[in-house]
Amino acid sequence: MDQLQLREIEFRCIQEEQPFCTASCPLHVDVRAFMAGLAKGDLREARRVLDRTMPFPEIIGRLCDQPCYPFCKRGEIGDPLATARLERFCVTNSTTVLKLPKLPAKGGSVAIIGSGLSGMTAALDLGRKGRKATLITTAPSLGGTLRSYPETDLPQETLSQAATLLESYGVALQLAAPLDRESIAALTTKYDAVYFDCDEIGPDLLPFATDPLDPLTLNLPHEGYFAGGGIVAGTPFSVIKQVEDGRRAALTIERYLQKVSLTAQREMEGACTTRMYTVTTGMPHLAQIIPADPAIGYTAIEAQQEAGRCIHCECMECVKQCVYLREYKEYPKTLIRKIYNNQAIVQGTHNANRMINACSLCGQCTTICPHDFPVADVCRATRQEMVRTNHMPPSAHDFALEDMRFSLSPFCTLSRHQPGTERSRYVFYPGCQLAGSAPEAVKSTYQYLTDQLQGGVALILDCCGIPAHWAGEEKLFAETMEDFRAKIERLGNPTVITACSSCLSIFQKFAPEIQATSLWQVLDTLDLPVHPDLLPRQTLTIHDPCTTRHQDELQASVRNLCHKLGLNIVENRFSGKMTDCCGYGGLMQYANPQLGAKAAVVKAERSDHDGLAYCAMCRDNLAAAGNRVAHLLDYIFPVFEAQEPLDRNNPGFSQRHENRARLQQQLLTTLWREPSTPEPEHKKIRLLLAQEVLDLLNSRHILEEDVQKVIHQASRTSKYLINPNNGHRLASYKPVRVTYWVEYQPTDQGYEIYNGYSHRMLLPEEKP
Amino acid sequence: MSTFSFIEATSWQCAQCHQPLQPAKVNVSYLNSVFNVELMACPQCGFILVPEHLAVGKMLEVEQLLEDK
Repeated sequence: MDQLQLREIEFRCIQEEQPFCTASCPLHVDVRAFMAGLAKGDLREARRVLDRTMPFPEIIGRLCDQPCYPFCKRGEIGDPLATARLERFCVTNSTTVLKLPKLPAKGGSVAIIGSGLSGMTAALDLGRKGRKATLITTAPSLGGTLRSYPETDLPQETLSQAATLLESYGVALQLAAPLDRESIAALTTKYDAVYFDCDEIGPDLLPFATDPLDPLTLNLPHEGYFAGGGIVAGTPFSVIKQVEDGRRAALTIERYLQKVSLTAQREMEGACTTRMYTVTTGMPHLAQIIPADPAIGYTAIEAQQEAGRCIHCECMECVKQCVYLREYKEYPKTLIRKIYNNQAIVQGTHNANRMINACSLCGQCTTICPHDFPVADVCRATRQEMVRTNHMPPSAHDFALEDMRFSLSPFCTLSRHQPGTERSRYVFYPGCQLAGSAPEAVKSTYQYLTDQLQGGVALILDCCGIPAHWAGEEKLFAETMEDFRAKIERLGNPTVITACSSCLSIFQKFAPEIQATSLWQVLDTLDLPVHPDLLPRQTLTIHDPCTTRHQDELQASVRNLCHKLGLNIVENRFSGKMTDCCGYGGLMQYANPQLGAKAAVVKAERSDHDGLAYCAMCRDNLAAAGNRVAHLLDYIFPVFEAQEPLDRNNPGFSQRHENRARLQQQLLTTLWREPSTPEPEHKKIRLLLAQEVLDLLNSRHILEEDVQKVIHQASRTSKYLINPNNGHRLASYKPVRVTYWVEYQPTDQGYEIYNGYSHRMLLPEEKP
Repeated sequence: MSTFSFIEATSWQCAQCHQPLQPAKVNVSYLNSVFNVELMACPQCGFILVPEHLAVGKMLEVEQLLEDK
């Protein structure tokens, strides 16, 4: 990802866009922060917000015509916020908190003719920038139209305060100056730039016509002359318009004096549009707080209540749903910046590695995002880059990739035409996780498909390679796909029927030339075996796997199947396109096991009902998180003596290995009458494992087979430690990259296992 | 190079040599980094003990640090 790509992608995230109030305010007052201050009862904090943006808070805070009002999102769920009234409350009950600095003098002299609010604002802004500004008026005091406001609306004292403020920034005030057309014309030649405040200076006094006035720069047709303020024909006098014009003119004049472009990059000046996206659905309606005495305005309590109605507009739509973004406290824009910075590190710690590897790549955020922010694509591409540049932490995906290699090993794979046939119209591809989780379901399904479908149904036990794809291991993934293509070709290009939606998504994307469909869509066309007595009475909620997010037909078939079977199912708000990942996607549960577990809890909690999954990993992860959840195949091909499908345990990593290997063995010997690959010696070692030891080994990613290898090695070499106090043995072995340690004791029934742990650091005698 | 010491009293003995373990200076390595450490080992055959708390504690910490370099 280069900087240009970064900018392009991060632009899609609108979390940092201005809220609707700030965007519609020509001064861009941070109304959100103002409301937050008031809602806390922190008047000083609220006042600081006004002081930062408003030129004369004492005046504008009392007279603001709140152009933000119709844009306030609170209006969708109640009344818009009474911002003007709250500003008045704030400025009448506080004094200046923040005085903006005056920049060093820069030269250039500017005359501001007319002392309405626009002229005052221009003078103040220029004075702050270090320009020598002279404010000239025929009037005895400042304010223009402001002088006509009743004392209750605007105490005249505020105007004299404004004069003091202007003088503190070095603005020269020439009050009661005799001005006519000739004297104005003469005056202007003495200054580098001149601003006419039309609130006080009518067209009759100007030395030349004000048409055309450039609305962006307020530049008159004569170089160095600018004009603004006053009334726009047909509209009432607007205080905010005076301030906006004064500010705009000051910026133009500053640019004019600097001899830089007067027009470049001024789109966001003044009221502007915003791409902010805020959903108010589900928020409670709240009406505006009306002051008990409207003439006095809000009391402190009323103001706090009114400001408390602000919903603090932001987007965060993806973050609200995504456990990963919440865990790392990022929204897509900050996430991608962290990723970019992580990749830019040459020497030092890559702190974001784990974060990059923990995304489930499920795409829910992209579906939610109004601008399709591609978090998954960025994370996956970054992982690929890490692998290519040798920066992928070896431990990040090792366990998952070893699991994949085992599924692809001669102990688990199988590719055969239907027994007794040499042609296949179809091939059933259950996927590695169904074979690992529910081998009996694979057998029944295959049996059923061979009975029901004409033209031969081959069987492939294999792994589609998605773990390598998720891990950024492009080479390994490409090899796996190549191998898959070759197998399909050798079978005569049958239509692939997958039970796993991840496999299906991979085949559709990376081998589009191969016909592939889901088991569910095929079953939907066949007569189903129905077992009404074995169905659960209660309603189940469907947990769609995240890899079916864009597979509408597949999801529809699953629902058809449920109806045909007679299952009572109910949708939850996060099914279909919005579905969550169970924690397996993107190898999240390996890169960050605690987060993986949280993801399963989030998915389960989308509904109060027991669950029905049709992905083996969803089923097992939801079960591991303590939920009652069955697999759809449990109800199509029930195993009669089996335990309640909703209560089936998560088999764990070791049992999955065992199930895959045994399934291949059993199918080879029973269906094809072929010998299976002989078991390695260490597999004969019988282990006695208490549940808590098994759980510990699972959490530490230690397989029973690793334990068997350690004990086998210790028996072979007699190299192990012994504790004379209890007879326990401690031995270690490093089959590939990880050194495993096992504490055990031989007994008559087998080896009692007490503990297991591992490390990657190499001891002196070990080779990398 | 400084030596990190992980010497501790232990009940483990070498089964093959029938020896109690003694402190030994050894080099452990990971991803091109080598550390000189003192661990308990069999004085006769050199079998090194990596105790559980070290493997899942300090060692893991250093492994992860090096992996993120």
